[in-house]
Amino acid sequence: MKDIELKNQEIENTIKDLAKNLLKDRKVDMIIGYTKGTVPLSSSPIFITREEDIDKLIWNNLCYANLAKYLAPRGPILYNKEGQEIKVGIIAKGCVGRAIIHLTVENQINLENIKMIGILCNGIINRKRIEKEIGEREILETSVMGKNIIVKGCDFEETFPFDDYMNELCKKCKVKSPPKVADSCVGECLESPPLIEDDFNDISDFESKTSEEKWDLIKETLSTCTRCYACREACPMCYCSLCFVDQNKPIWFGKTTDFTDIFAFHFNRAMHLAGRCVACGACSSVCPMGIDLNFITRKLEKIVKEKFNFTSGIDKETLPPMMTFRMDDNEEFMMEED
Amino acid sequence: MQEMILMKDQVAKLFTELSEEYNVFAPIKDNGYIAYRKITNVEEIEFDYFNSKIPPKEILFPQMEVLFEYKTDGKNVIEIEDRKDLDEKNLLFGIRPCDAHSFVLLEQFFAFGNYQDEIFLKKKENSIIVGIGCNSPKSTCFCTSVNGYPFQKDDMDIFLVDLGDKYLVEAVSDKGRELIQRFAWLSKASKADVKKGQELAKKAEDLITTKLDLTNTSECLESNFSNKIWEEISENCLGCGSCSFLCPTCTCFDVIDENAQYENRGRRIRIWDTCQFCLYTLHTSGHNPRNSSIERCRNRVLHKFSYYPINYGLIGCVGCGRCIQACPVNNDLREIIKKINNIKTKEEENIIA
Repeated sequence: MKDIELKNQEIENTIKDLAKNLLKDRKVDMIIGYTKGTVPLSSSPIFITREEDIDKLIWNNLCYANLAKYLAPRGPILYNKEGQEIKVGIIAKGCVGRAIIHLTVENQINLENIKMIGILCNGIINRKRIEKEIGEREILETSVMGKNIIVKGCDFEETFPFDDYMNELCKKCKVKSPPKVADSCVGECLESPPLIEDDFNDISDFESKTSEEKWDLIKETLSTCTRCYACREACPMCYCSLCFVDQNKPIWFGKTTDFTDIFAFHFNRAMHLAGRCVACGACSSVCPMGIDLNFITRKLEKIVKEKFNFTSGIDKETLPPMMTFRMDDNEEFMMEED
Repeated sequence: MQEMILMKDQVAKLFTELSEEYNVFAPIKDNGYIAYRKITNVEEIEFDYFNSKIPPKEILFPQMEVLFEYKTDGKNVIEIEDRKDLDEKNLLFGIRPCDAHSFVLLEQFFAFGNYQDEIFLKKKENSIIVGIGCNSPKSTCFCTSVNGYPFQKDDMDIFLVDLGDKYLVEAVSDKGRELIQRFAWLSKASKADVKKGQELAKKAEDLITTKLDLTNTSECLESNFSNKIWEEISENCLGCGSCSFLCPTCTCFDVIDENAQYENRGRRIRIWDTCQFCLYTLHTSGHNPRNSSIERCRNRVLHKFSYYPINYGLIGCVGCGRCIQACPVNNDLREIIKKINNIKTKEEENIIA
C-alpha cells in the first residue's frame, strides 16, 4: 500500500491532465473541482473554464464538498448566459458519482452533458472532530503523512491516525470511485455496478439503545443547531425550489430554535432523503456547529437496504423505492416497530 | 484611574459578590465549542480561549426571542403580557474587543431613526461589559483593518488584560469605575504589571497579519453594483446562513406570531433571519428581487462595507474572522475584499493606458 499523500499527489496529477485534455479538446466547457482553502482543514469548490487555470485544481482528504450539488437544478451552472446547456467535467469521488447517477435517475440532470473525472477516493478527514479535539489552540497547518494526519499550530503538533479520523461514513464506504454509467466517466471508475454488502455494525451501538437513550442522543446531537441550513445547502439531493421548512403559505414547520422545531427540520429532511442519500457526509463536514448527522444517515441507509434491497446512486436503471411501487407489495414493514 | 489587579483565583469571590445583582454571562465550553452562557458556578468559566463560536450578540439579541405573549377569548386578543425580565442586570464577562465593538454597531441599528427597539436597548443599558484584550489573535483576525485593535477598550466598561495568573483591571466607563470601587479588596497594579500589559498589547498587534485596505472600498462597492465580479464572488456560495448566523454585526430578524388557537393564547417572537436565504426578499407576489446568490452575496458585502459607512459612518464588520472559519465552501471575506479593491486598480490601469 502506498502512502496516502503519494496517492493523493498521483490523483491530483491525473485529474489535472484529464481536465486539461477535456477542456483542450472542447469535450467540456467547464471543469468543476476543488482548490486549496485559505484556512487549514478546508478546501473550496472551483469552476474552471480556461486551460491556464487547471493548476488550481487540487485533490486531498479535505475535498469534502459534494460537487454534484452544483449540477442540481437550483444551480444555474449547466446553462450559459444564452440559456443553452453547457458541458461540464466534474471531479468525481465515489459519492459525487453516486449523486450524479441518482440525480439522473430522478430526471434532474442530463448525463450527456456531464463527464465525470473519476478518482479512487481514500476517505475524507473528519475536520469537525479534529477541530473539536484541538479545542482552543489555533490550527495553522494540516497534512497527511503515512497513515497519520498531522495537525500543527505555532506551539504544538498533534498526530491523528487517519483510519480513525476519517468521516464515519467514509469508514464504511463501498463505492470509492464513481460507478461507470454509459461513457460518462473518464479516469478511475467502477466497471460494473458493485454489489453492496454492508453489515451496518457501525450503528449497532445506536440501535441497542432504548428509545429514551436514542431520544437523549438525538437531543444532545442537535442541540446546538442554528438552523443555518448549511447541511441542506451542501446536500446534492436537497434541490427543491422551496424546501418544506421554508414554505410559509401556510407555515408547516416552526422556524424557531426550540428543540421540537429543530428536530422536525432534521428528521423531515432525513425522511426526504430515504433511498436518496448517497452517504457523502457533506452535511456533517459543512456544519458550522460541528453536528455529525452520520448515525441518522446510516440508519436511513440500513432501513432502505433491508426493506427494499436498494442502494442509491449505483446504477441508473433500478428505480429507487420512493419512485416506484409493486402490485405484490405487502407493506408488512409498515406494521413493524422500528 | 489607577489600574488594579484581580488574581485569577479571586474570580470566584468576584462572582459570588456579583451574582446576586447580575446575570453573569461568561465563556464556557458547550458541545466542544466556546459559548457565552449565563453561569451559575464559576467553575464553568473557560479562561483559556480565543473567542466564542457564536458571538456574544446572542446575549442581548438571542437567535429566538419572545417579544410579548398574549391571551385571547378565542377570537380577539384580550391581554398582552410584556417582557418582565428587561430590568434585570447583566454582566458580560470576557468579551473580546471585536465583539465589544459589535455592540456599538448593533445599537446603531436598534436605535436608528424613529424606531427604537426597546427590548434590545433596555438590555444593553442594563448590561455591563467586562472585556478582555486578545493576547494571541488568530490568523483569520483582521480587527486592525476595521478601526480596531486587539487591546481596544473604548467599547467596554471594564477592560482586563490577561497577565497569566492574574488580570490587570482598568475602568473604562463611569459604570465600570463605579463597579470597581465596590471591590476594595482588589490590589493596586504595580508599574511592572502595567508595563507587561503594554508589551502584550504591542505583541498582539504585531500578530495580526491580515491587512485589508478599506479606504476606498465603500465608494468602490457603490460604483460596482453591476460589476461581473459578483458572479465570480458568489459562484460557489451554497446560500446557507452560517456566515451571518455567526456574524457579530448581522442584525436581521423575522417576526412570527405563534398562535395556540385551542389554548386561547399565543406569542410574538423574533428569530434571526439572513439576506442569504431565498425567503428573505421573496415578495408575496412571488417576485424575488434578490433571486440568486449573486444578489445575496453582494448584499451582505455591501451592507457591511458600504451601507453601514454611509448610514452610520462606521464599518459594519469588526474583523473577528468567524465567517472565514465557518464558510462551508471557504468563500473567504478577505479574498472578496481584495477582489473588490482590485477592480479599482484595474480601472485606473485602463485609464492610464
